[in-house]
Amino acid sequence: MTNTNNASSLLPGFRVLDLTSSMGAFCGKLLRDLGMDVIKVEPPGGDPTRSEPPFANGREHREGSLRFAYLNAGKRSVTLDITQESGRRLLLDLVARSDIVLESFEPGYLSTHDLGYEVLLERRPKLILISLTGFGQDGPYAHYKTPDIVGTAMGGLLYISGDPKLTPCNPPETQSYYYASLFASYGAMLALWQRETRGIGAYVDASIQASMALHEHVAFNYSAEGRVMKRAGSQHQHNAPANLFQCKNGWIALFVTQNHWPILLKVWEDHPVELDDPKWINSNLRRAHADYINAQVTSYTCRFLKEDLAELLQKHGIPGLPVNSPSDFMKDPHIQARGFFSTVTHPVLGSFSQPGSPFVFDGKRAAPSSAPLMGQHNDEVFCGELGLERGKLEELAASGVI
Amino acid sequence: MHSTNEILKGVRILTFTTGYAGPFAGRLLASYGAEVIKIESRKGGLDTFRHYGQHKDIDAAPRFIECNLGVRSLSINLKHPTGAKLIRELAGRSDAVLQNFRPRVLDKLGLGDEELRKSNPKLVIVKLPGFGSEGPKSSYGTWGFNLTAFSGMTYLWNHPDQDRPIGSQGVYPDHLGFIMGPTIMVAALLHSRLTGKGVSIDLAQIEGTAYTLGVTYLDAAVNGHDPQPKGNRDPQAAPHGCYRCQGEDRWCVISVRNDDEWRSFCRIIGKEALINDARFVDRAARAQHTAELNALTQQWTETQSAEQVMTKLQSAGVPAGVVQTGADLLQDAQLRHRNYFVSFSDSLIGPFEIPRSGILFRGMSEEPLRLPNRFGSDNDQILGEILGYDLATIDQWRAEEVLT
Repeated sequence: MTNTNNASSLLPGFRVLDLTSSMGAFCGKLLRDLGMDVIKVEPPGGDPTRSEPPFANGREHREGSLRFAYLNAGKRSVTLDITQESGRRLLLDLVARSDIVLESFEPGYLSTHDLGYEVLLERRPKLILISLTGFGQDGPYAHYKTPDIVGTAMGGLLYISGDPKLTPCNPPETQSYYYASLFASYGAMLALWQRETRGIGAYVDASIQASMALHEHVAFNYSAEGRVMKRAGSQHQHNAPANLFQCKNGWIALFVTQNHWPILLKVWEDHPVELDDPKWINSNLRRAHADYINAQVTSYTCRFLKEDLAELLQKHGIPGLPVNSPSDFMKDPHIQARGFFSTVTHPVLGSFSQPGSPFVFDGKRAAPSSAPLMGQHNDEVFCGELGLERGKLEELAASGVI
Repeated sequence: MHSTNEILKGVRILTFTTGYAGPFAGRLLASYGAEVIKIESRKGGLDTFRHYGQHKDIDAAPRFIECNLGVRSLSINLKHPTGAKLIRELAGRSDAVLQNFRPRVLDKLGLGDEELRKSNPKLVIVKLPGFGSEGPKSSYGTWGFNLTAFSGMTYLWNHPDQDRPIGSQGVYPDHLGFIMGPTIMVAALLHSRLTGKGVSIDLAQIEGTAYTLGVTYLDAAVNGHDPQPKGNRDPQAAPHGCYRCQGEDRWCVISVRNDDEWRSFCRIIGKEALINDARFVDRAARAQHTAELNALTQQWTETQSAEQVMTKLQSAGVPAGVVQTGADLLQDAQLRHRNYFVSFSDSLIGPFEIPRSGILFRGMSEEPLRLPNRFGSDNDQILGEILGYDLATIDQWRAEEVLT
């Protein structure tokens, strides 16, 4: 149904230099999925993401990191030591042919190596520089180290996540890195638009903390209502039944609003008569008595398989969906029919199913490709595109610059 | 100095949105300068967030205001033939349409992609449906809450070895939708500008969510197992996680990723002897002894405030942070430094502050954001100045309940 076509892309013809490691790689990934040529510039030992789990077959190997494989799918890879003068000069040659430079070093790192925005601009007027860090380029926490869990903690999402009886629980993978990367991508698009319409470059300063602090009205609820949001397990703050409910073979996620409540009672033919009291139409009242409502609803949901109940409720317009494991999701017929996953082939990892771009345009979805081997495109980029002589490339390789 | 609030100046976007993701996407476009015209109707087409909370005034619900800053408001009954006709005319004078209705709702009103594009071949259309516009479950109703469940995120968002899934009380996919939407929108506007052709984008929120779980899916695909919840564990750092501090429900996070950080950590917690303890001598050894490390870490954090933990450890180069509450965010020195909050003192709902954006443009100024225009308050100006209708005609439409 969806035509997956490699040749079609939304924004071909733009080039991005991706100097990030795992913190900003998701931004480069989205820019790649928008159709741009993204060149990953790895330090000579390789991007540190290459040593991050999970690994294929559990074996640590620089081409075996599935985290690297996903976050860098479709990018080209060169290796370059930008802290050495000859490497720095080659980077500037690349900058001269690029539209966007993306980096996630500690603030000031590029300037220390004489590669600050002004220097880059000299080589490439109207350049767009995207810096993505934990807290932004300046300010009291600018130099704080920010693994993902510091980002979710300082942004406010961690505190409200998890069972109230337990320790706050971090979301899966590195969501704070991804989320800031999405804001950085928006910054890249705004900056490109500005360049096309006004002819100026831009320096975008993305902050993980500032991106995360937009979540779930956490700051706003306190500011507007003086209310500190707390952990509530799976229970939504304003509605009930809006929780996970036990089924025969797992759980279903229900979110039943005022409009859906009467329909639910109709579908649930033998519901307790007390629930017919019209006072329960009011979502706030149901939420105030969530324990009672949830217990009643569970007596119904536990009769069904989660998929069957979801289908039954959806048929009546009630938005119930099963709690899937990752494999359940990958096998779902709807997701399969939309062509979200495609098979890619990687020289070391073999053939496997990989998510494609998250959007379809004019009915087409750009098919994913696999991640590059370390330095796979050194020859193509340095010799083919920058015109470096092959002898010189070998010399730089021998001296550890490439 | 250029202002970030004018980057998209001159871009006109019609939005048909309700709830969280779609409206907030409109807000993020408006706050960078786009003219965002939000189209609603009292005839069954009001944004549901206008009724969130206790306010009777449909312009005063704080949740609605938060998600719709800077947008203009046009009230048109789309089910009236004249209403639909006016939207088609307006599409001819606009650059883009953003909508998060269920698939085919607009098509049935004569406002499908082809009809909208008839008088404007360059029109960009971005849709944010839950399950996408096509596919066997495209008609399914979804919320951020249950998209999280369907993608596998709820299953994974838990401490290890629990007897039930937890996930989140919130609507994580909405947050993804409201930033991916504007990003793809501006990309599509660039595409249209550079190629002279319009484009229709289908950004299924379920796929936007799944896009953030790709490493997990690859793990499942390549290694042939079902990945399990990891909670606060990181196999490459120890101690690593969330620890209780002094005070009621106060917590910090700490992550020790290498030997340098380990040595600094031991000095800060006053246990230098541990540096050479064989159990903790390198990363691999520490990974074997996470239970002991977590216990001794918490012994120390319980004697400290969360702020002390962060300041002491970060000053020594060890990653740490406060598990901040909403109240903490409002006082956060770094967010204040970024001029992150926009203050409003509105007569309808009193003073409050709203977080602005995850990005800054260095060397550019940033103006305050505007409250959403009141419901229907832009009708005359939009129909008069953009479409050229006179006031008598507009008044007649009001009487005929076209504008309502």
